[in-house]
Amino acid sequence: MQAILQLLVSGVLLGGVYALGALGLNLIFGVAKVVNFAHGEFLMLGMFAAYWLMTLTGINPYLGAPIIGAAFFLVGLAFYAGLMRFTIYKPELTQVFATLGLSILLQNAALVAWSADYRTIQIMPAGWESIQVLGAYVPTNRLVAFLYAVAILLAVLVFLRSTFIGRAIEAVSQDLVAARLMGIDPDRVFLMTFGLGIAITGVAGGVLMPSFYAFPSVGSFFVLVAFVVVVLGGLGSIAGTILGGLLLGLVETGIGYVAPDLKEATHFVLLILLLAVRPHGLLGVKGAEKETLK
Amino acid sequence: MNPARYLILRPADLIGLALAVAAALVLPFLVRDDYSANVLVLILLYAGLASSWNIIGGLAGQFSLGHSAFLGIGAYTSTLLYNYAGISPWLGMLAGGSISVVLALLISYPTFRMRGVFFAMATLAVGETLRILLIYSRKFFPLPYSLSIDYQPGLARMIFEDRASYALLAGCYLLTCLACTFVLSRSYTGFYLRAIRDNDEAADAAGVPVRRYKLIAFLVSAFLTALGGTLMAQYVLYIEPGTVLSIELSVDLPLMAILGGIGTILGPLVGAAILLPLRETLVEMLGGAASGAHLVLYGFLLILIVVLLPNGLLGGLDRLRALTRSKPGPSADAAKTAGVQP
Repeated sequence: MQAILQLLVSGVLLGGVYALGALGLNLIFGVAKVVNFAHGEFLMLGMFAAYWLMTLTGINPYLGAPIIGAAFFLVGLAFYAGLMRFTIYKPELTQVFATLGLSILLQNAALVAWSADYRTIQIMPAGWESIQVLGAYVPTNRLVAFLYAVAILLAVLVFLRSTFIGRAIEAVSQDLVAARLMGIDPDRVFLMTFGLGIAITGVAGGVLMPSFYAFPSVGSFFVLVAFVVVVLGGLGSIAGTILGGLLLGLVETGIGYVAPDLKEATHFVLLILLLAVRPHGLLGVKGAEKETLK
Repeated sequence: MNPARYLILRPADLIGLALAVAAALVLPFLVRDDYSANVLVLILLYAGLASSWNIIGGLAGQFSLGHSAFLGIGAYTSTLLYNYAGISPWLGMLAGGSISVVLALLISYPTFRMRGVFFAMATLAVGETLRILLIYSRKFFPLPYSLSIDYQPGLARMIFEDRASYALLAGCYLLTCLACTFVLSRSYTGFYLRAIRDNDEAADAAGVPVRRYKLIAFLVSAFLTALGGTLMAQYVLYIEPGTVLSIELSVDLPLMAILGGIGTILGPLVGAAILLPLRETLVEMLGGAASGAHLVLYGFLLILIVVLLPNGLLGGLDRLRALTRSKPGPSADAAKTAGVQP
């Protein structure tokens, strides 16, 4: 009983982390129909941003998340204006390989700048690394990241439902042509979406930093997890991302308990099966996986 | 109707044929120094692999990012058979190809339901799963992490003293892949594949057996890729999951095809002939391969290529030719629909 409770707690916390890591990817996919293969690298950059913020100024990423978010919003704008703008109406092949190229570029730029060392930061004071809840061990770093995930997901949902630009984003995501006819400029919406998506990803990397090691190629692990979460929960569905993250967190924790070496393989097997059986995911719109902008 | 009439060589094909034969069968006798011979072997081998990818990725338009799985199976099957059972790599190569074909058939059931980027993601997952499972299997089998092949030159063992012989072997492999691409792209299969690539729903509506033809392209591609895997193992004489099953390989092959001209017959060769020397030069210019500096530039070039030249160098050439034509009338459009040019 105790072991099951522990697995549930660990699984849910991990799931929150995964959902947070995948949210930016799904937002950008939902609106611009671009699968960003460089998503993991933006997460990696978020982790390094948190590391340097903490090391250089002493601001810990839990408090500094808005700073990271603002900086990464600008990064996202630059990402769209400098690269994705030129590929957005092009065939998928162009988008896949342009973002793959960016992924190689960023990963190796990080390698050149910061070497392959594993870095981590310590935030929680000694004795507070974990707390006991009903006898289950709860790592506080994960708990804070989980709370951040919930807060950000709610904020995004509110933003999309109740602000003008948020509704414009929703409109473009649902029907580009109709949105354009209503006077919405899709290019501005894409710009904002990339800014928002990358800002969330940067913050996600920042609050994950204390519970994961940061190194230049850490993104390639997270990007595949994010793919699984997005496909599992539903393409373009924000609520689905939460569900997908939680499910994956629970499955992975369960498998990890039985055969730790197969944890990663479960991601992929799950991804293949899901894409085959229910490509639009649990909460996604049917046919979303076939959509392109043209 | 004689089906072979589609295989008649056009004047432009003769030039292409001459180029390919010169690269594959004449150059190996001309290079003298070790360095260029090594680059030549790699170019011919990777050109063959990229051509194999091109059959499913270019002709059929299904962007597989999991070809490392087939390459790894080819490399591992022949090496295991040779090291543990003494079976010649020439036979091991065919065994690896057959296993690859079986894997391709199996994964076609889930993956052929997707297209575009989702097919890419699923195949990427296949390649990665295979790598992880291979590493995991060492818990149950006494399999070392890496496998070395003893250096004992001999034709039956597919191990040679000089690089020129390897270059010739890789050249023959490349010509095989090119011949397969040529036959597939000029036959009815090629017409069907292009129809599927351009619009699979329309192709289906027009009565093209979509699944069957995608499968043909996938199986041929998987088989040829596995052959290249064996060749790679025999050339390097050392394999491990981190090399022959790496994601980098799965990305490199499409990249070469795209750079040269995706879906064209000679595109992958052109792409490999540019990309491999370029990467070698970048490594030399920017210091050791471990620093990653060359890959920064490499990633940048990749972005530039796909954004500026989505149809590759040969595709760009075709467009230039179409522009210089006096009148881009119906004939130019017909050429465009015909798609593949050498």
